[in-house]
Amino acid sequence: MSIEPKQIAEIKSEHQISAARFSSDGGVLATAGYEPLVRRWQFDGKTLTPLPPLDGFHGYSTAIAWHPKLPRLFCADSWGHLRCSEGEKTLWQHESAHDGWLRQIAVSPEASRIATCGKDQFLCVWDAATGKKLHEHPAGEDVYALTFSPDGQHLVFGDMRGRLVVMDRDLKKAHRTLDASVLYKLDRIQDLGGLRTLLFIDGGKTLLAAGTTPQNGATPQSIPTILHFDFASGRLTQTFTHGANKEGFIHDLVQHPQGHLMAVTSGTPGSGMLILVNPADKEPFHVNTKMANCHALALHPDGTHFVVASTNRDSNGNGRSLGKNGEYKTNSSPLHLFEI
Amino acid sequence: MNPLCTPGEHHLSRRAFLGGGLSLLATPVLAEALKQKDKQVLFVWLDGGLSQLESWDPKPNTEFGGPFRSIKTSVPGVHFSELMPKLAKQMHKLCVVRSMCTKDNAHSSGVDRIQRGDPTNRGVPYPHFGAGVAKLLGPGSSGLPPYVWIKPGSGGFRAEDAGFLGPKYGSLAFGDGKPPENLLRHPDISVEQDAARNELRRMLDQRFAAKREKRVVEANASVFDMAEKLMARADIFDTSRLPERDRERYGRHDLGQHMLVARQMLEAGVRFVKVTSYGWDTHGDNFNAHATMVPKFDQAFSAMLEDLEASGLLKTTLVICLSEFGRTPRINGHVGRDHWPEAWSIAMAGHGVRHGTLIGETNDKGTAVKSQPYDIGSMFHTWYRALGIDPLRTEFDNAGQPLPIAHDEMIPIKEALS
Repeated sequence: MSIEPKQIAEIKSEHQISAARFSSDGGVLATAGYEPLVRRWQFDGKTLTPLPPLDGFHGYSTAIAWHPKLPRLFCADSWGHLRCSEGEKTLWQHESAHDGWLRQIAVSPEASRIATCGKDQFLCVWDAATGKKLHEHPAGEDVYALTFSPDGQHLVFGDMRGRLVVMDRDLKKAHRTLDASVLYKLDRIQDLGGLRTLLFIDGGKTLLAAGTTPQNGATPQSIPTILHFDFASGRLTQTFTHGANKEGFIHDLVQHPQGHLMAVTSGTPGSGMLILVNPADKEPFHVNTKMANCHALALHPDGTHFVVASTNRDSNGNGRSLGKNGEYKTNSSPLHLFEI
Repeated sequence: MNPLCTPGEHHLSRRAFLGGGLSLLATPVLAEALKQKDKQVLFVWLDGGLSQLESWDPKPNTEFGGPFRSIKTSVPGVHFSELMPKLAKQMHKLCVVRSMCTKDNAHSSGVDRIQRGDPTNRGVPYPHFGAGVAKLLGPGSSGLPPYVWIKPGSGGFRAEDAGFLGPKYGSLAFGDGKPPENLLRHPDISVEQDAARNELRRMLDQRFAAKREKRVVEANASVFDMAEKLMARADIFDTSRLPERDRERYGRHDLGQHMLVARQMLEAGVRFVKVTSYGWDTHGDNFNAHATMVPKFDQAFSAMLEDLEASGLLKTTLVICLSEFGRTPRINGHVGRDHWPEAWSIAMAGHGVRHGTLIGETNDKGTAVKSQPYDIGSMFHTWYRALGIDPLRTEFDNAGQPLPIAHDEMIPIKEALS
């Protein structure tokens, strides 16, 4: 496959971004990050223009997911707040949907439900229209990621220790557990949890668990990793890794309509990359290392545009780094707009 | 004449103790000596740099505050990170200094400088706090090694920790909290054979000593003395005999189990116990790392404080918890925080410190100390004072330059002292 994404714009953002997704009609990009705001950007095919952000969050905004048909945005923060918005209007919200860090939101295929998971070790299913809590399940570990199966019958979650659990949509029964423990390592007293995102491909036949294979802790050194599971049998069929043990985490993973996977990484001490790879291949067909420490990738519904949120260069440094005017330096996430 | 006592004056011999009986307590000098004997130190070192923002000095909902919430502590108006719920309930036992401002932002120099309390180069290495305490307060009535170090990994004797005090006062490290290999007398060697061997060793030592520097010989002999004492108290390494509940309370992780060994050592009368936890250098994935590590520290350290209080040892034990620095407010592209000596925190408890006290303040974003900043030298002055030791007492003559045990340009933090 020969695809060469071309960057057509770089949009400045004054804050650091950890998640980004386009609305179903492609008109709005929502971003979450290291601030108590969810930012929105209008997309006109050539650039992104800031819209008024959604405020009222606390800590970090952590998770965003769009309704697949309506212009409704589900978003959450690290203090447990969960909200459904349409434009700037809040349709419903829960101040404490979870006790603390709400890590991810998944929307069911028919959009009747959303599921959330958090550091409080709970998994919750909510009515997407009203926000009423329908089900909850104590997972027993910090739950990092979750997704619905394409048929909407199952909810899969992955915890800090790399345990993937397949549950029915009502969270009544755990059908099976898949072993992604290669994404976990205990280093001294640090639990290095490498699971970052889950994604179904092949119409639900294959479940991907992406993140990192930790090698050692403190400053984690680890290898970007995607595990392929046959969903029916739970068998690990393929392991994709890329780069040395400094390249870190796959933070975001999506599938392009043409079938290839698109992933972004940030490394320690590596500096991050964009990877395009066919699911069956061992090697990517495209790697872009020009962007530093990428944390989010949003694919536009038209399939011809996507956005990568990276980090400014020289973002790290010990001691007091001062800017040109003597101010304490902060970091930001440039938004790179690509055309395929 | 030096008005201060010498280390020898702190020795309370077994004969003096047994001969004097309880009436000794009525003798002011000996009563004071006994009091002095009882003082102990627990020194918890979180190697690599605990984030002050994810622990003692949270700035929730601010630019650099991170994802976590803060929680109320047992002292009104004082908040800790939500990652420390157990310690939050014990703030009334703690004294937290939030205004540490030190010099080094590298591990290689920072660790040494912080542990030696020496902010300037005086031409000779200053002793670790443990070495200073080991010399100035001595081994105590237990006779056990005065400066022990419980750490993950390997053990051994570290003479260099003693700095200018001489190798005798170095630290004795117990790797993974275990006793030195072959500590106990081999069952094939009888008590008599062992005594004969030791007698032979002592004779050879004397011959060795005739050609060597005194302090080197002393250090050599002291290691054997330590071994002898430890042979008699091998039980202090054994936590298996403790109730299951204790081992659960401290945590099954190595920090918890090492802290439990430390408790046993304090109970046995070891003068200075250092516990090290490695892996706090979170340049990447800082928040997930702290989310898993800080609760384990919270569990182990709070269990220790509870038990020291319950046993009464908290009244006589100075407890200190620190790193070589804190972590940067700004978050790098690896989702980490880097090294930050500019504005970080130290926690203390126990003997000689004012409980339930918060000292110093950082600005709203945590990017600078807003109140009087304190370098590590001030902490050494504070700790020596808390133990009743004059931090300015001269302990070394560096070719005509008298050097005090703590940095002579610093002063203690009076508000921290009880």
